Amino acid sequence: MVLDRSPRLDLVFHALAHPARRAIIRQLSGGERNLSELAAPLKMTFPAATKHVRVLEHAKLIRRRVEGRQHFCRLEAAPLKEATLWTESFRQHWETRFEALDSLLDEMKSEERARTRRT
Amino acid sequence: MNTTSARGLQISTPTDTTIVLTRTFNAPRRLVWEAMFTPDKMRRWMLPPPGWTVTTCECDARVGGKLSVEWKSDEANPVMTLRGEFTEVALHEHAVHTETMALGSGQTVGSLVEKHQFADQGAATAMRITQTYHSKEDRDGALASVMDQGMEACYQKLDALLGERS
Repeated sequence: MVLDRSPRLDLVFHALAHPARRAIIRQLSGGERNLSELAAPLKMTFPAATKHVRVLEHAKLIRRRVEGRQHFCRLEAAPLKEATLWTESFRQHWETRFEALDSLLDEMKSEERARTRRT
Repeated sequence: MNTTSARGLQISTPTDTTIVLTRTFNAPRRLVWEAMFTPDKMRRWMLPPPGWTVTTCECDARVGGKLSVEWKSDEANPVMTLRGEFTEVALHEHAVHTETMALGSGQTVGSLVEKHQFADQGAATAMRITQTYHSKEDRDGALASVMDQGMEACYQKLDALLGERS
């Protein structure tokens, strides 16, 4: 499984890039909630809140079920669990190290060139 | 978001117990090897998490040679150690070593076998690191262990990147 250039991962990251949507995810980690319950703590209008829910739905991070006039949302843990997020921070950790390694190697090459010139 | 970096770090998990990292460096194999396995060079890239300092760094990349790194935290006095031994070495080509991470109290937090392979790519070097864990749980744990330190920075970066789109 190569995780580079995954359109689905792009959707997941886009979905998680907004604090309101992360707040929704946190709420849903406690179990199923209806739309009003999700919107209440967000300090925004109901339509604005449902817009965020739709973005999360689109990224398949949550699933919506309709019961009468009630819309219930629950967390779909699979896309999160698929190590995508873990891998992203793991990647950053190694990318930082490797960028440091790039600079170090540049220095080592210059030192070597300087040594060669001297001898 | 495109998760491929400019310099092309690729991370994959070909089996349940492995993580493979590949990256190209703009330097000959000999220098990449030296940077990876010489203590004073290692200190430059083995960046500790914020608030931690590398206190010991020893590395003897010969079969039977030891690897030893110690970190200490600025807060309170937790210590973290990494101990390992080289089991296979072909100079400037490949090296295999074991690695066990432990807390100051002696509690082991994970162990793995790490293989480094170096290949010429024109004047550059392609490095491949294969980490093999004892179990899928250990492997997933290793992926998650950097999550805490990486996550917030990651979110902030994403917020900045995607701010206009959300």
